[in-house]
Amino acid sequence: MGRYILRRLLSVIPTLIGVTLVIFLFQRLIPGDPAVAMLGEHATEENVARIREQFGLNRPAFLDRDALAEGDLNGFFDSQYIRYFRRLAHLDLGSSIHRRIPIAETLKERFPATLELSFLSMLIALLIGIPAGIASASRRNTTLDGVTMVGSLIGVSMPIFWLGIMLIMLFSVFLKWLPSGARLSTGVSIQTITNLLLLDSLLTGNFTGFVDALKHIIMPAVALATIPTAIITRMTRSSMLDVLQEDYIRTASAKGLAQRVVLFRHALKNAFLPVITIIGIQAGTLLAGAVLTETIFSWPGIGKWVYDAILGRDYPIVQGVTLLIALIFLLVNLAVDLSYVLLDPRISYD
Amino acid sequence: MTDIRLENNGFEDFAVREHRSLWLDAWRRLVANRTAMIGLIVVVVFILSATGAHFFWEYEARGDLDYNKKLLAPTILPTEEGPEIHIFGTDKLGRDIFRRTVHGGWNSLRVGLVAVGISLVIGGLLGLVSGFFESIYLNFWESLVLMTLLGASLGTLPGWIARQPMQIILFAGLGAASVFYDRRLLNRKAPRQVYFGLLGIIIGGITGIFVGTLVAVVCGILGLVIGVLLARPLGGKIFSSFVMRIMDVILSFPSYLLAIAIVAFLGPGLEKGMIAIGVVGIPVYARLARSAVLSVSQKEYVLAAQSVGESHGRILFRHIVPNILSPIIVQSTMGLANAILSAAALGFLGLGAIPPEPEWGAMLGDSYKYLSSGAWWAVLFPGLAIVFSVLGFNLLGDGLRDALDPKIRS
Repeated sequence: MGRYILRRLLSVIPTLIGVTLVIFLFQRLIPGDPAVAMLGEHATEENVARIREQFGLNRPAFLDRDALAEGDLNGFFDSQYIRYFRRLAHLDLGSSIHRRIPIAETLKERFPATLELSFLSMLIALLIGIPAGIASASRRNTTLDGVTMVGSLIGVSMPIFWLGIMLIMLFSVFLKWLPSGARLSTGVSIQTITNLLLLDSLLTGNFTGFVDALKHIIMPAVALATIPTAIITRMTRSSMLDVLQEDYIRTASAKGLAQRVVLFRHALKNAFLPVITIIGIQAGTLLAGAVLTETIFSWPGIGKWVYDAILGRDYPIVQGVTLLIALIFLLVNLAVDLSYVLLDPRISYD
Repeated sequence: MTDIRLENNGFEDFAVREHRSLWLDAWRRLVANRTAMIGLIVVVVFILSATGAHFFWEYEARGDLDYNKKLLAPTILPTEEGPEIHIFGTDKLGRDIFRRTVHGGWNSLRVGLVAVGISLVIGGLLGLVSGFFESIYLNFWESLVLMTLLGASLGTLPGWIARQPMQIILFAGLGAASVFYDRRLLNRKAPRQVYFGLLGIIIGGITGIFVGTLVAVVCGILGLVIGVLLARPLGGKIFSSFVMRIMDVILSFPSYLLAIAIVAFLGPGLEKGMIAIGVVGIPVYARLARSAVLSVSQKEYVLAAQSVGESHGRILFRHIVPNILSPIIVQSTMGLANAILSAAALGFLGLGAIPPEPEWGAMLGDSYKYLSSGAWWAVLFPGLAIVFSVLGFNLLGDGLRDALDPKIRS
């Protein structure tokens, strides 16, 4: 098993290099000169030259064959991509063009907001999706099953930004129950420890803060949770249906065990593996979905940040955040793969 | 024909039974499936209204503006104040939302078809060839072509560094040689790797020496690596694993984040959105086609075709392709649903269709800006249009899966 884990870890490396390559190549998609794109169209000649020098834009993209021909081995490897890769290795994601603030720094502020939102959404998705899937599978072909299935199909067919707008329309504009944006009302403050506001307010015993934070997060979290909920429901149902046809389930029922015991102790445990895969995949989708959800709810996380960056043509931010999300996605999937070995003793990879 | 049915004790005689094609059978199963039929009807209505509106209901988005009619609530019957009816109401610029929604369908349909077309053609072909190369033992000529191309493409790197097109040709020759000297001549005295590695050093080093010593050294090292690689018994698997690695990279981005990022760098526009959504979808089809080919190529009929000596091209297109079509058809139907959703997301973020153009996502993005005015109709109807069309394709896809492959029906 140790060897499998090692091999799986090593297999991430080429993918990782590929991911950085893709993100690096984004730069090349920008029509025109990236230095001009950074400075705007009215930049002076010398400013453009200075930026090109500073960001290494005058270096070749991958390898410098002219330097090698002159006998300069270091110069050979001194290219835009290798510089970019080296900076990444030092956890340097570059700086925002407009505000000149290192991306890693802003990330530290903004990422917890997205993390909190994604966690809560995943929690909602699990708390609704798994019970709904189990109920649907155990009462197959009943009205309940039909309603759940149609509901989940509508869930995957719905644009989450539309649901978000409708929620704001209903709860903020017409009913005025919930705020339509931001993480906290003005005037409410929470002492930050982890920057996860729900957690921080609980840790500091700040009850008003907790309620306020909850009021702000609930709509975006529900909107973001729609697709994962629908997918987890469908997956739990179909996986449970597969397992419920097994002989040991019939045996368990035949010997008179309560349905509850059969469902939860015998069936659910065995139906869980595919569900975990889906949860892993959905974790990435949640982070990506944050771009839309956060934009609608003015949630100050990385999604809104990327959106603003796209509008402001602040490309390093788009690159940095995309890379971060891809990395997290990769790691979550790795964790899912590894968790199989722990969860199912029948699986061994040696 | 059916009236010549004989008395046969209830057993249907195969020779007498009405013959039906596979597709007709699938169609009958689809018709019998109620939810699938709902999906089909929604899809047909969507396609007809979108194309009908585009060709027969003129709409000029650019001049459509009437502040006198702005933000009118939906009306079904003409009233005294306004003789015109707007069943979906009007938006901030006084444009009829019903008209824009129907016309928006054309854009969604276009994006869906083009994006799925891109993913399907590129991904499907890559997957098909990968799966085929992986499961079929290549014959002499196929290996020759593959290894020559491999040699040439690997040789491009040292060739580029040393500015020597000759190197590419020489490495292509080395690749070809690895097929010719497959089992003869060399393997008795030392492993092939040794000879090919040495040849690689010579090819890289000698041609590199014209430029400089360091270039010769670097090219020599690269030549060694290439030579050793070419000497290994690679077969078709190398192509497949190369393609699948690239697919892994694309898949390691959450799909529409990648689409958003691509369009962010390409600049907004419906066409660019189509390309981005299409590219992001490629790995799905590549993986699907590859795994379908891998499982079909183990079937008896493929082995039989091989053993009677049918050509590989014929096996691929006569025996394998028809049998992997059904999962691909299902995936394409679902893919249309996804493409419509992604296009709407891009439009909403202002990265898809350019504003006056009627597009559902862009319409939502627009109405979002005057949300506080309480004009719920400007939000509701374009959104419902997305939900219904996407739901239609999803239902149809589900139904097609059951109809095309009755075995996996649970």
